Amino acid sequence: MITYVAQRLLAIAFILFVMSVLIFGITQVLPGNVAYMIAGQFATPDVVAAIENKLGLHDPIFVQYWRWASGVLRGDLGQSLIMERPVGPLIQEAMARSAILAGVAFICVAVLGIVLGVVAAVRKDSATDNAISVFTYLGISVPEFFWGIVLILVFARYLNWLPSGGIGDPAFGLPVDPRYLILPAITLTFALIAHVSRLTRSSMLEAMRSNYVRFARAKGLAESLVVRRHALRNALLPTITVLAIDVGFLIGGIVVVETVFSYPGLGRLLLFAIERHDLPLIQASILIIATIYCTANLIADILYAYFNPKIRYGRPAH
Amino acid sequence: MAAPLIDQDGLEAPLAGVTRPRLPRKLVVGGVIIGILVVLAALAPWIAPYRFDEMSLLKRLKPPSAAHWFGTDEFGRDVLSRTLLGARLSLLMGIGATLLSLVIGVPLGLLAGYRRGRFDEVLMRTMDVLLSFPPIMLGLLILAVTQPALWKAIIAIGIVYVPPIVRITRSVTLDLVNEEFIQAAHVRGDSTRYILFSEILPNAWPPIAVEASLRITFAILLGAALSFVGMGAQPPSSDWGLMVSEARPFVDSAPWIALAPGLAMCLTVIGINLLGDGLRETLDPRMRSQRGA
Amino acid sequence: MHWFSRSIIAGMLLTAPTWSNSAIAQGTLRVAFGSSLNTLDPAKTKIGEEYIQNFLIYSGVTEIDRDGKLKPDLAESWTASEDVKTWTFKLRKGVKFHHGREVDAEDVKATIERVIDKATGSVARVNFEIIDKIEVVDPQTIKFELKLPYAGFAEILSDRQARVVPRDKLDTIGQEPIGTGPFKFKSYKPGDRVELVKNPDYYVPGTPKLDAITFRIMPESAAQVTALETGEVDLVWNLPLESIERFQKNSNVTVDSVATSTWDGVIMNAAHKPFDDVRVRRAIALALDKKALVEAALYGHGSVTHTMISPTHPYYNKDIAITGPDIAGAKKLLAEAGHANGFKTTIFVPSGRPPRERVGITVKELLKPVGIEVDVQRVPWDKFVKDIEGKEAFYVDGFFSRPTIDTSIYPWYHSKGSWNTVLWNYKNDAMDKVLDAARGAKSDDERAKLYKEFQALAVNEPAGVVPYVLNHVNAFRKNVKAFQSSPMMWLDLRQTTVQ
Repeated sequence: MITYVAQRLLAIAFILFVMSVLIFGITQVLPGNVAYMIAGQFATPDVVAAIENKLGLHDPIFVQYWRWASGVLRGDLGQSLIMERPVGPLIQEAMARSAILAGVAFICVAVLGIVLGVVAAVRKDSATDNAISVFTYLGISVPEFFWGIVLILVFARYLNWLPSGGIGDPAFGLPVDPRYLILPAITLTFALIAHVSRLTRSSMLEAMRSNYVRFARAKGLAESLVVRRHALRNALLPTITVLAIDVGFLIGGIVVVETVFSYPGLGRLLLFAIERHDLPLIQASILIIATIYCTANLIADILYAYFNPKIRYGRPAH
Repeated sequence: MAAPLIDQDGLEAPLAGVTRPRLPRKLVVGGVIIGILVVLAALAPWIAPYRFDEMSLLKRLKPPSAAHWFGTDEFGRDVLSRTLLGARLSLLMGIGATLLSLVIGVPLGLLAGYRRGRFDEVLMRTMDVLLSFPPIMLGLLILAVTQPALWKAIIAIGIVYVPPIVRITRSVTLDLVNEEFIQAAHVRGDSTRYILFSEILPNAWPPIAVEASLRITFAILLGAALSFVGMGAQPPSSDWGLMVSEARPFVDSAPWIALAPGLAMCLTVIGINLLGDGLRETLDPRMRSQRGA
Repeated sequence: MHWFSRSIIAGMLLTAPTWSNSAIAQGTLRVAFGSSLNTLDPAKTKIGEEYIQNFLIYSGVTEIDRDGKLKPDLAESWTASEDVKTWTFKLRKGVKFHHGREVDAEDVKATIERVIDKATGSVARVNFEIIDKIEVVDPQTIKFELKLPYAGFAEILSDRQARVVPRDKLDTIGQEPIGTGPFKFKSYKPGDRVELVKNPDYYVPGTPKLDAITFRIMPESAAQVTALETGEVDLVWNLPLESIERFQKNSNVTVDSVATSTWDGVIMNAAHKPFDDVRVRRAIALALDKKALVEAALYGHGSVTHTMISPTHPYYNKDIAITGPDIAGAKKLLAEAGHANGFKTTIFVPSGRPPRERVGITVKELLKPVGIEVDVQRVPWDKFVKDIEGKEAFYVDGFFSRPTIDTSIYPWYHSKGSWNTVLWNYKNDAMDKVLDAARGAKSDDERAKLYKEFQALAVNEPAGVVPYVLNHVNAFRKNVKAFQSSPMMWLDLRQTTVQ
């Protein structure tokens, strides 16, 4: 197991390195020159050249990469070109807000997903099962941005129960007013819940057919006890793996959801940076997001290996 | 984008878990939805009652009526006509990007599975790197470097979905290379190209087709998400993601502008998902046996 | 699933009553605006939200008040030489920066030199290029030598980018601005909020009245509207025109509107046929009903005008009437120019600038009666800047107000103006003469006369059509007192209070 984890860690380190080269390489060829963005519409070539010089954009690309990469390793993510402030704190603040939203959504996905999955499995082929199946099918078919807008329309504009976007004033020690989390969290939950509930349902069904469950039933244990103590415990193992993967998808979904709900998190920060061609900010945000994604995948791999000793040695078959 | 299915190593896509023996119905319903959609998209310029960019101030923000079934937007453009034309863009995005990922991914996967060795190793590590980006992030990274445009979004999405195609192709190829008829071709001295495309591919395509059909919905959803955040199709085009995005300021005064393309999008994705599920059940023997259990 | 939906709805009902009455801190004004700030360094600011901070945190050498009148700010007095080429400013004594140091002439020198420095990349640089030499005479006196006579120099020093910054903090003011203005910077969370607190040492005694200001960044106009309605914010800056009507019915909210010199224009590029013919341009000007354009593009929230000089400005030429469309006159001119049957053309509008988009569509409808068939093309903003401005024949463009009359006009109408060559290629010797003369004009009467002459020329030999200047609209709740919108679109909150 330790060898396997070490192997995976090594692979991740390599991937992160290649990724940093890729991120830097791609963004550095950005044609919409940041110096032009700073100088504005009246820019003349000499003004642009002066700004480029100041920013070190004339240095060879590998020098620029080294400057950036060594900084990142020291924990210095660079200086935002447009905002002229360190990228680190900017990202940290945005990430804290995204993490709160993602955390709430994650808990909802986990709890509701498992509950729905178990209910569907226990009431297999009933109306409830079908309803859950339709519900989750809708979840993966409706784009987050549309679902978000429908929620805003109903709960913020017509019913006026909840704010339509933003984060409000800090409350309860959080940087975000919890009321502002409800709609975006529902949106994310809806989009992701299908994974968890479907997998839980199928592994539940499998577990209920297994010998030990049959045996438990034969012993005359109450059905609810059988479900809870025997089937569920075994069925949840793959679900846990899928939850780790969902962290990655949450990160993808959050870019769109933050846009819909004007939520100033990491996704919005990235889009803001792209619009303004703020290289260091783009590079750092993508690197951070990709690192989180990789880590979530790593955890998923390790959990999977832990629960399925067969593949522990060597990589899973492709 | 809505959550893609899990394509992690060894994990069964959870869609498989719920499919019950309703195979023909899914295929039929999905097929009918998509069939109608494709016909509408193909005929859009002729059946749309107005030009998609025809503007009129007198008619702006009008609710649905006999003249404008889905109402008009802030420029007095007919929402129905725009939604119809938008179907073309969505399908183009989904199918175009998927084809691109097939064109790049299938030959690479075949070669990797057939050749093995260093080429395989390097390729698969490269794919690992690509897979280490959340899909939308890789799309944004590619689009961040250029001015956004529809065709660039298609290319970006195509690239995003190369790794899963490479993986599935490679794994099917790995199973096939040891088959006698491939060995025989090898002994006969057939060219690699011939073996890959004329011997292996014809036997490897069903799982690839299933994978590709799933990719189309992801590609459509990812494309819509990119357009929605301003990184895909550009105004005045009537891409659905863009239409919903542009309709946001009017969401309470004129909700029909957002609802029409949004619902069209949902219907499309549901249709393709159903079709893909049906296809998967028909083509993939593994699923079939599992479902019966 | 039942328990699920029920508990969610129950949760919403619980939160519903509290949602609309968040506590109001005494003396803190909460303002909503649309865009996140890039920088707090005045020299580098480019957007309205940043300008607001410039005026609250910093002071200028001079100031232009709400009525367009020049007033002292950090300079208590100034003199110009006979040839208006040498300008001497006397600074107020004892004005302190927020970090405690007194402002002196060296700070003013550093400020202006920084704006002129190409590496700073300030958009105001072109306005200050006329400066030849800056000399600090004594800590309270600064002298500017200009390359050419320029009567409006004291006005330029009130510019948004020329706010006086402390020379010892130039590297950090982008993040932690330090000025001499009525409010001190407290914090800025990009994408979320800016917080300012009262500067108790502000040089005007008794001001500011507010304890603090919180700016909330809300990019969605729908969110701004909700926030004002529910009392989450007290004031929305630059209200989207389409939401004005909603508030006019709300008794808790005051809608305050003021004419600015921000304008949109129908640009006819004289480098292209048929717009090289002044008769065609005049014909189109006659056919375009300016009142209809204000209604259509701005929902009525603008003022019809001849040029960018707004009707409320003292230099506005009241002798020229703005009449309704003259279709017959336009057709006659078109026939003279050889277009008796009209012609076909394409008008380009930038997407994402709704009023300009609406101008384009309206132009299409207004030109139909004279036989000109217009196709409207919306193009993305960056493409518009790159491929349309100055390159295409016919398009809709627009510009923010500038602080002085010369910088608002000269770049567009003088044949050597920086915008003329990238916009409409207008060349008129009479016009050049008037604008040059106005730059050196010493008395206000003389300038007023010259600028009225400019307006007559711009109407008779049009470069394009400037149908209106926009109104700047703020909406605020009844608890906000002593607030008035400014034509410069910044927020003067020195006298404002909240209850």
